[in-house]
Amino acid sequence: MRHAGHFVRLLALVAIAAVGFLFVRSQVIPKDFGVKGHYRLSAVSDEAAREPRHLGSEACAECHDDIAAEWTAGKHTTPQCENCHGPGLMHVKKVSDDSTAGYPDKILTQYENAINRGTGIHECRWCHLKTFERPSTLKSIASVEKHIALRKGTFTPDTKCTDCHNPHTAIAK
Amino acid sequence: MHHYITEGYVLPNQAHIYWTSMIVLYPYITGIVAGAFIISSLHHVFDKDELKPVSRFAMVMAFAFLLFATLPLLNHLGHPERALNIMFTPNVTSAMAGFGFIYSAYLFILAVEIWLVYRTDIVHLYNETKYPALKPVYWLLALGVLDISEEAKALDRRVMVVLAAIGIPAACGLHGYVGFIFGAIKANPWWASPLMPVIFLLSAIVSGVAMVMICYIVIHWVKGREINGECVTALIETAWYFLIIDVTLELLELINHAYMANEDWIILKELVTGKLFVSMFVIQILLGSVVPFLAMGAVVVFKQRAPAAVRNVIGVVCGVLLLAQVGAMRWNVVMGGQMFSKSLRGFLNFEIDIYGREGLIAAAVILCLPFVVIYVFSRLLPLWGSVETFPKEWMKERPPVRQPLKGYSKFTS
Amino acid sequence: MSRRRFLETVAKSGGQSFLFGSLFVNTALLKLPQAGADAKSRAEAEIGKGVIYGFVVDTTKCIGCGSCVRACRAENNVPDGYNRTWVEQYTFYPDGEVFVNSPNGGEDGFAEALPTRNRPSGAEQAPMRGFFVPKLCNHCIDTPCIQVCPVGASFKTDEGVVLVDHERCVGCGYCVQACPFGSRFIDPRSHTAGKCTWCHHRVTKGLLPACVVSCPADARIFGNVSDPESTISRILATNRVQVLKSYLGTRPRTRYIGLDSEVI
Repeated sequence: MRHAGHFVRLLALVAIAAVGFLFVRSQVIPKDFGVKGHYRLSAVSDEAAREPRHLGSEACAECHDDIAAEWTAGKHTTPQCENCHGPGLMHVKKVSDDSTAGYPDKILTQYENAINRGTGIHECRWCHLKTFERPSTLKSIASVEKHIALRKGTFTPDTKCTDCHNPHTAIAK
Repeated sequence: MHHYITEGYVLPNQAHIYWTSMIVLYPYITGIVAGAFIISSLHHVFDKDELKPVSRFAMVMAFAFLLFATLPLLNHLGHPERALNIMFTPNVTSAMAGFGFIYSAYLFILAVEIWLVYRTDIVHLYNETKYPALKPVYWLLALGVLDISEEAKALDRRVMVVLAAIGIPAACGLHGYVGFIFGAIKANPWWASPLMPVIFLLSAIVSGVAMVMICYIVIHWVKGREINGECVTALIETAWYFLIIDVTLELLELINHAYMANEDWIILKELVTGKLFVSMFVIQILLGSVVPFLAMGAVVVFKQRAPAAVRNVIGVVCGVLLLAQVGAMRWNVVMGGQMFSKSLRGFLNFEIDIYGREGLIAAAVILCLPFVVIYVFSRLLPLWGSVETFPKEWMKERPPVRQPLKGYSKFTS
Repeated sequence: MSRRRFLETVAKSGGQSFLFGSLFVNTALLKLPQAGADAKSRAEAEIGKGVIYGFVVDTTKCIGCGSCVRACRAENNVPDGYNRTWVEQYTFYPDGEVFVNSPNGGEDGFAEALPTRNRPSGAEQAPMRGFFVPKLCNHCIDTPCIQVCPVGASFKTDEGVVLVDHERCVGCGYCVQACPFGSRFIDPRSHTAGKCTWCHHRVTKGLLPACVVSCPADARIFGNVSDPESTISRILATNRVQVLKSYLGTRPRTRYIGLDSEVI
């Protein structure tokens, strides 16, 4: 083919592009990609390496053994410590060796606020406000105002459930 | 990503719309590619000689739009720097994974085809351009081979026909494939349909023909060149035929949803009669389908008896309406499918951004870029015909008939 | 016996008779599936293949407190406005209307009781019945999200957990579109797909998922379904369970007890 010079050059370009693509491809694909399936195998360990933030009530009891004893003896054992107080990881880190460095401030304040909560009426309402869909066996009130009026008390903006109830035992103070 | 105001019950993660203007634009651009390519193939492969005046331009237009088909996608991706993962580790079960390869293959076919069509002109202009700076450009475009002997040209022609023949299924594949990306999503009742690829392909052809038609008539008006009546008639006829099949299938799709009245029809009905009413019934069907059907139908019936001016006006006006029709169809599919929640109980009030990465301005800029490429192309190579139509002022004067005597040349120049 | 299992059984047992002469009627094709075959084939598929996780949501027990949603957000640092798990509230009225609600995914509880509604006639009507439904990723066996991921950034672990590789995800959002349950989202911070992992980082360390630990009503049960002695296996063996959108054929591993037909 004497007059096919331009096609030869074109095919050469295609060949260079194809080889270049295959070379780059071989360089950029992670070594563990496709070992088990069509994915990067170490993505599994990446995910598994994340630190659990909820430590469980047993972990809380290691230090707060007095409250834990009160809690286990009471009638309010289904919600765990961290349900109302938030995840314990940051708190434990802070009080044990202060290794919270490296975590963003926003997250730290978020957890600090959570661990100190459990004093308002907000947390109680999550479960104990009457809604139509809740089972009747669950002790619930239609509204805080009505509940207090029924108990001959006065409702002020500062009124908290914990004024009368012990949240750890669910027994009236 | 915005949090949109919702009505009814919307699943928490669906209070956001994840695919916006860029994903509307992407099938719109590839659609114009497919349609323009079909026009050029009708001439190159099927010997429709009426379309000869636009066949080169249509091919350049297809190429220019194809160059930017990936831009809306890259602009949309959360991690555009990882875009090539789609070719490095393509997942064979993904409808989207083929895109990189189908797109590259089609771009290659189109580029080679244009190259072969223009190769003779490139070599001519290499010899005749007035600007020395352009000489290396032409040399590069010719890949450094300046052989335009009859044998080389004959070989070019043979390869060209083969490529055009491969190009047609490739164009259909590329665009039918775009429809498949939506049609294969069983999670979304508004998308899941085997008709989706066919509808996407046909509306693609309609939009491509419309765009070629508008450009041909307007550019020739502006430049004061003669507009070929037969060519305009043939373009209108082509657009008309494809419009009929396209709209028939679009309506069939809708009627099928309504008639089957599955669980999802309750919300789809509210969708089409509510949020999509204007874009679907007014723009897509009334203005974009019925009006062009009647107006272009008149041209198809009267053929050359219709006055040229009327025919050209119909061509431009209907071209614009058809582009609006296809744009509205893309919008209705892509956005419509996200305006209701998969809870089938709620809607999102979607409002398109003006500014921003995926806003209207960005979309308009992307839509203009192919025309910049076409403009640059027209400075380098003749857009509409062979090298004879290329502006003479950019070419060296033809060698004078009378050769100056040796030794006197400095006085003659 | 599901259709798929039936066909698989047919393919296995019918292979020989097809080999020896397809002219004869294949007896396996005529055999009706026997009672208990589904449980048996499920056990065959999952028992003895190492740990395979499963999740059961008991909608009859959920009290709608939102503890799971809060725990999930804290445990997994879920961005505001998105949810890996959420709780839906369903309220039914005598005239057949159903109200579904999930304010902020149920994270702040369901403080407001739905008011009585006026009928078109003007008469008031009180709600008739209602319940809560917690939702999370179904970790489907035939996942549409992994199917559509163009780059192999979505995958299933050996334990059946569907995860995202945040280093390879391109953020195209195709998986978000393909998930029929709205379980996925694009995280606005990392620009990659986010989803429930069944707390893969906890369960691989022997802990329960955060939502399960925090549930005060035992409405969420997580465990190893390949161990016939596990709590979840016993619950699956003694309850009638349902999955969401079963007609889509994704075969969810998250199963529901007491699912109402209005829940989609």
